[in-house]
Amino acid sequence: MGTTLLERELKRGSTELLILALLDERQRHGYDISRLIEERSGGAITFHTASLYPTLYRLEDRGLIEGRWVERAGQRRRRCYRLTAAGRKVLAEQRSVWDTFFIALNRVAQIRHA
Amino acid sequence: MPDFSARVRQTLAAGGRAIDDDIAEELGTHASAAYEAARADGLDHDDALRRVDGLIAAWLADADRLQRRPKRAAAIAAPPADSSAWAGLAHDVRYAMRLLRRQPAFAFIAVLTMALGIGATTTLFSITYGVLLRPLPWPDANRLVRLSESRQGRAPRIRGTITNATYNAWHDRHATVEEIGGWRNVFATAIVRNGAEPVRLQTAAVTPTLFTVLKAVPLRGRLFVDDDGKPGGRFPSRDLIVLSYGLWQEQFGGRDDAIASVVQVDGKPLTVVGVMPREFAFPDRETRAWTPWAISGVVGRDDNGRPYTSVQIFQAMARLRAGATPSQAAAEATARSRGAPDPGLAAVAMFGDNGPAEISAVPAIAMMTADVRPALLILLAAVGLLLVTATANVASLQLARAATRRREIAIRAAIGAGAGRLTRQLVVESSLVGIAGGMAGLACAAALHRALPSLLPADFPRVADVALDARVMAFAAFASLAASIACGLLPALHARRVNLVESLADDGSAPVGGGMRSPTARARMLIMVGQLAVSCVLHVGAALLSRSFVALLHADRGYDPTNVLTARIPLPATYSIERRRDLLETLSSRLRALPGVQEAAFGNALPLVSAGGFRALKMRPPANPAIEVDVNAIERVVSPGYFAALGIRLRAGRAFSDADTPTSPQVIVVNRSFAARYLEGGARLKGSRFEEGIGAVVPNLGMCRGDNDRWQVVGVVDDLRQGGVGEPDQPEVFIPFVQNGCANAVPQPFVLVRTAGDPLPYVAHLRSILRQEAPSLALDSVMTMEDRVTTSLAKPRLYAVVLAGFSVFALTIAGVGLFGVLSYSVAQRVREIGVRTALGARTADIVGLVLRQVAAIAAAGITIGLVASYAASRSLGTVLYGVGPHDVLTFVAVPLVLFVVAAVACLVPARRAAQVDPIRALR
Repeated sequence: MGTTLLERELKRGSTELLILALLDERQRHGYDISRLIEERSGGAITFHTASLYPTLYRLEDRGLIEGRWVERAGQRRRRCYRLTAAGRKVLAEQRSVWDTFFIALNRVAQIRHA
Repeated sequence: MPDFSARVRQTLAAGGRAIDDDIAEELGTHASAAYEAARADGLDHDDALRRVDGLIAAWLADADRLQRRPKRAAAIAAPPADSSAWAGLAHDVRYAMRLLRRQPAFAFIAVLTMALGIGATTTLFSITYGVLLRPLPWPDANRLVRLSESRQGRAPRIRGTITNATYNAWHDRHATVEEIGGWRNVFATAIVRNGAEPVRLQTAAVTPTLFTVLKAVPLRGRLFVDDDGKPGGRFPSRDLIVLSYGLWQEQFGGRDDAIASVVQVDGKPLTVVGVMPREFAFPDRETRAWTPWAISGVVGRDDNGRPYTSVQIFQAMARLRAGATPSQAAAEATARSRGAPDPGLAAVAMFGDNGPAEISAVPAIAMMTADVRPALLILLAAVGLLLVTATANVASLQLARAATRRREIAIRAAIGAGAGRLTRQLVVESSLVGIAGGMAGLACAAALHRALPSLLPADFPRVADVALDARVMAFAAFASLAASIACGLLPALHARRVNLVESLADDGSAPVGGGMRSPTARARMLIMVGQLAVSCVLHVGAALLSRSFVALLHADRGYDPTNVLTARIPLPATYSIERRRDLLETLSSRLRALPGVQEAAFGNALPLVSAGGFRALKMRPPANPAIEVDVNAIERVVSPGYFAALGIRLRAGRAFSDADTPTSPQVIVVNRSFAARYLEGGARLKGSRFEEGIGAVVPNLGMCRGDNDRWQVVGVVDDLRQGGVGEPDQPEVFIPFVQNGCANAVPQPFVLVRTAGDPLPYVAHLRSILRQEAPSLALDSVMTMEDRVTTSLAKPRLYAVVLAGFSVFALTIAGVGLFGVLSYSVAQRVREIGVRTALGARTADIVGLVLRQVAAIAAAGITIGLVASYAASRSLGTVLYGVGPHDVLTFVAVPLVLFVVAAVACLVPARRAAQVDPIRALR
């Protein structure tokens, strides 16, 4: 089933995969996520802030992530997202698809060089 | 710091977009974090605010997607409780009909499969029920028992009969039964009305008590009473007759004046005393009239006052008293029979032994159906398997549909359909298929029913009792419903496991390497394994029955049935011995003179029709003259050409010739069994030197040649099978027709004509010659010998054909099912196959992928099938001939056939897999 996502993500810059991967580490709020994507890709992935929240909401609707308001003393309340069990499964599947795909591409590329 | 939540809301509102407070707050926190980050980067308030405004502007551009879907809530109120079940059901039915209309191919295949399965099952059930279970059409028929007598375990020459010794002893005093009655079939030529053409009738000579046993009531007139049979004579019967309804309608137009009118039967005037009701058919539907018959005593004196011993064997039936069991009746009859006068040698002739009598009593219905019961039960089991296969096939189709309908099912679940509701929907869908299939199946069964009398062998018992009645309809309805529910529950079970979220996101393709990982695919694979196993069992059964039939067809019967025309010429009792001899010899010499005729002969016996007579005598075997042994043999009175006409092989000595005359020395020909058993002291059996028997003398054959008659053996011929090929060898004696001195030794001679080519064109010659020689006589039972053999094999052939039909049907279902499962699996694995191809897999590897799957399914199915066949084929043992139930060839050939079918079924899916384009598959 992960392959649908794969197709979509090839076109959309893998937003969903990146979000799921970040949330796999710990729960995060929206700003945190956008900042980390930019930081970790060293600017290689052009990230449209505009598409972050629609993507988050879609993932939430599909039950892959779960958002809730968190209040900390002395801070404004923030909406934090964490990965659900279903989200973890999809992430694992996507990772394996991507792995396979990269290995495949790699081999094809090497054959062409030879 | 500004209130960014308000700022977000205002900016979006200015752009004509309204968003939830919730989202505005979340975006607000993001904006303020961005503002703080900008300030931390060293930007001043205005620059930081500008950066945040740019962010908000970007959100505005995509504001459409900035919303969470509302949490699930029942959008439509649940239907009120009172209208729930039935209203919902009607809706389900409408919905299911719409779906079926949208997939006509699926609907057609599913309904057709069900129709064939249910049609076959219903037909076989109706036959099994009508033949084996439906009570016989007599009042309290479960109290009717058929009697058979045996001596020291030896059955009489005609199975299922008792002797007059037993009948008389028991009839005089009986406690466990209300009454006993006996009968024998008699073929007669009758002139029913003056001036009418003579007609051949099958009649039954019955004891007057038989009607009492059956509790039969006449439609007109009366039945026989006790005295009707008795007065005068050695085999007395008063000259009365009772007509069947059919004969009465045919010959008298149903008029009442038929009673007391006179009918000429075999030249004797009989007075009609009664007419039976239309439904009265005893012993079978072919019987058109009944005459009274008195059972004679074993010992008595004939009209001239000379003492005689007479043993008759005939069929008999008794009605148990209420509460009595068949075994009690058998015990009583056995005891009474042992107290009866000893029939002596006559019993040896009938039974081959004169030990103490043993009478068995079995329910009449069991006796009637004994020879078809095992086969019917086997076929019923087979058709049950077939129905299971057909059902499994429809279930598999439903599963495949359910898999592609996961989204629909998930949506229905999402909008509030409970598991029960979904199950009902799926069961309703398959019930529609089942009901349509059941109705079509009933139509098939009804069509088959009309054809049954022509499809079933003529001697199949109780064909008239097979009917499509309420019970059979109920069975068909039950079978359809059970099959539908079975078909619907499996997909419903899978539907309940559907994960809403995954299903909605899913496009139905399998994860890498997961072609068979989904529960649906696994279930379909298991169904395939089961279908192949069932096909295997049915194929093994069909192959064994077919091989057995072929073995029967080609079995050595001791004679050559090809190109022999046979017919019976019933001779009136009034013909003298000279007249008989003249007529038959003229007939055969005129037939021999016809071009193309190799031999024409006659005799009192014909294989598969009549054995001739039975003879018991005492003689001293040449090998050991000191002792006297009881000899029993079949006795055949034949013309010289009989052996050549029937193709009986002469092993030693000579056959009869025209040199054997009434006045020449009395000669006989015996068969190997006779020679081995009586002429060589039994020491040297088959294959020994038959010449030893030649020249031996057999005394006491009778044939009205006075006392101390002696007959010299001049030839030994091979044994021939009178009936089925499985029958044991019987000692036989052939006597020249001209040397028999009894006027009535050959009352109904058979004519045999061996021709060079097809014997059928000679029927016309035979008829015209008979018409010229004896205008008042009619030919009877005109058939080629080959046809007689084929007809005698009608049942084994029918069983083989029916089981073969079932197995082909099952294999077709399995093949098509396998094709469907594999195509589905390949379609699901297109991406995986694409990746593999991209990784360098060659076409052979991809095809191997599919082949491995088939091989696994086929191997599992066939292994299970072979094991089941091995166990089940033992039950075929009783109906097999010339092939063992564990025949190696069958058990090797059937798996091969199944593998070939499986290979053919996977050709197209494998090709499709090989043609997967990795670029398109991975896009």
